[in-house]
Amino acid sequence: MTIAVLLKQVPDTTAKIAVSGGRVDQLSVSKWSTSPYDEYALEYALKLKEAGAGNLVAITCGPQRASKMLTDAAAVGADSMLHILADTSEMDSEQIQSILAAAIRHCEAEIVLCGKQAADTNSGSTGPGVASRIGAACVGMVSEVEVEGGSFSALRASSSGNERVSVSKPCLFTFDKAATELRRPNVKGIMMAKRKVIETVSPQDLGVEIGDSKVNIESQNSPPEKPPGQKFEGAESVPIVVLKLREEANVI
Amino acid sequence: MPYEALDFYDVDSLLTEEERMVRDMVRDFVDNDVLPKIEHACRDGVFPDEWRVTLGEMGVLGAPLKGYGCPGLSYTAYGVICRELERGDSGLRSFASVQGSLAMYPIWDFGSEEQKNYYLPKMTSGEWVGCFGLTEPDYGSNPGDMITKAEDKGDHFLINGAKMWITNGTIAQVAVVWAKLDGVIRGFIVEKGDEGFSAPEMKGKHSLKASVTSELVFQDCKIPKDRILPGVKGLRGPFSCLNNARFGISWGAIGAAQACFNSAREYSLSRIQFEHPIASYQLIQNKLSWMLREITKAQLLAYHLSQKKDSGEWIPEHISLAKMNNVDIALEIARVARDIHGANGILDEYPVMRHMANLESVKTYEGTHDIHNLILGRHITGIQAFTRGIN
Ligand SMILES: Cc1cc2nc3c(=O)[nH]c(=O)nc-3n(C[C@H](O)[C@H](O)[C@H](O)COP(=O)(O)OP(=O)(O)OC[C@H]3O[C@@H](n4cnc5c(N)ncnc54)[C@H](O)[C@@H]3O)c2cc1C
Repeated sequence: MTIAVLLKQVPDTTAKIAVSGGRVDQLSVSKWSTSPYDEYALEYALKLKEAGAGNLVAITCGPQRASKMLTDAAAVGADSMLHILADTSEMDSEQIQSILAAAIRHCEAEIVLCGKQAADTNSGSTGPGVASRIGAACVGMVSEVEVEGGSFSALRASSSGNERVSVSKPCLFTFDKAATELRRPNVKGIMMAKRKVIETVSPQDLGVEIGDSKVNIESQNSPPEKPPGQKFEGAESVPIVVLKLREEANVI
Repeated sequence: MPYEALDFYDVDSLLTEEERMVRDMVRDFVDNDVLPKIEHACRDGVFPDEWRVTLGEMGVLGAPLKGYGCPGLSYTAYGVICRELERGDSGLRSFASVQGSLAMYPIWDFGSEEQKNYYLPKMTSGEWVGCFGLTEPDYGSNPGDMITKAEDKGDHFLINGAKMWITNGTIAQVAVVWAKLDGVIRGFIVEKGDEGFSAPEMKGKHSLKASVTSELVFQDCKIPKDRILPGVKGLRGPFSCLNNARFGISWGAIGAAQACFNSAREYSLSRIQFEHPIASYQLIQNKLSWMLREITKAQLLAYHLSQKKDSGEWIPEHISLAKMNNVDIALEIARVARDIHGANGILDEYPVMRHMANLESVKTYEGTHDIHNLILGRHITGIQAFTRGIN
């Protein structure tokens, strides 16, 4: 059986983002990282692999630089890596989902893990979209997955506390922040990763005709700058501060 | 804010992908496991045992050694590991230097097959800690005159004498001890618990507080005959270990300097005096640009030296130059950074004074700064100036 984890490379949450000509300037991003929720998906994919649920393939769709994530995943234990080399910056979610679904079929994976949303777009559509395309049960926003015999049991937050959901394969889990430590690679893993070859394909190689994007991003711009802080001194300013906290900051 | 290492010339772009992955792994360890604990460790004067465990799990101990379960990385990777560890603390880097270069290396290079198979797997995993006993109370820069001696008693060796300033001594299961057998310096493996051997800790250090420093005392210490290192005689033994450790230090010092530079830069941008950030004053900028200059030069020196070390085209004098230069500028950078922090510079809220105090030890051990001057002086002139009388 094959387990797949879907990884997306995003600007590091601490990296400065510059916008020029109405577009995020990709070249200005100083550091790219694996989207944080995807890291939890990877961690649980490794746990499933260790529990004997199957081999683990790490999959990404993105430009050349995204391959670093796959090597990093191999260093912590992914058995194989699949990189669909494509410029995803102007693709809509339908295009991405059809590519990823084809990639999962290509790897014959029946258990798929990914983040509940990516740290850059925050749209949250990839997991459910891919699940529907491959005909898998989708369990969203989980914080834990375990294998129990032939089925998979996941923990997810519900309105009345926690909920344990059991599904059989094919299934897809989207990950929320989980209460687990992410593992660090070790030298042996890093040296093994060097020997593993990343399978690199194009969407066409997977038989996907992505067509034109149906969504057009008109422009991107930076969030407005925070207004400078205001300073108040002395007891006489208390009423003004209270007023401002109530009316402007909406915190009391 | 995550750590952004000063790398003005992008020297790290010369590293292989594997070396960069090792760097990121160790950097993550320092950020998450070391920095949150280091000030407490220093206050309590302890080396946290969990760091030993994690170093073993990461698989970085004895980094450049091949076989016997050892990592088999490049010397460049070893340098990078030292740099990242010492960005955390020189005491942490000292632990790794001693374990890999001073205790594992002599067994790996001069030990018997049985010794290698027995000790190296346990040491690279961190299960067993090693130490290196060369310095004596009366013989520091001049170890050739050591008085610790071993006698062949037929079915065992008997060791008598004392070593001082021994990093990891008290926590070590394995001590590689240099002693004279019939007047010739030889290496011996002494184990914790051997009859007549004790390793009391030395207390009261103002420097390397998160590192264990000990005396090794041998009073009719009895060890089996198979504990002598068969492969080397004379000072070449300890000196080959020191070459590797000094190489690592030339990288490590850069990490301490980078940490001090970052702290000084940040502090000077946020500290307002005379209505403006002190970073806006020329005197401060002069200090920061001098730090940038020296760190960049040190990085290039270390990187080039590591290429020579990996290709085997190096002489000990190359290492002396890098060790003395890089530690010298790191210490000076730490002092200037301390100055830029004003009174805050003496607090343990900032790393600068800790690095400064640590680097005083680093300047002294592994050949003092001036001993390296003398090594280079001899290389330049052909005249040794360690002692009177030209020979
Ligand atoms: C924290 C710490 C950890 C250490 N860990 C270890 C360890 O694990 N194992 C080990 O074996 N040792 C260890 N050492 C010992 C270290 O290697 C010695 O301290 C060092 O070699 C210097 O010896 P010394 O302290 O006896 O100084 P000395 O040799 O007495 O030197 C004193 C001063 O005289 C100068 N000097 C000496 N000879 C000359 C000369 N011919 N010409 C001009 N100047 C000279 C020196 O440069 C120095 O400034 C450690 C030391 C410290 C501080």
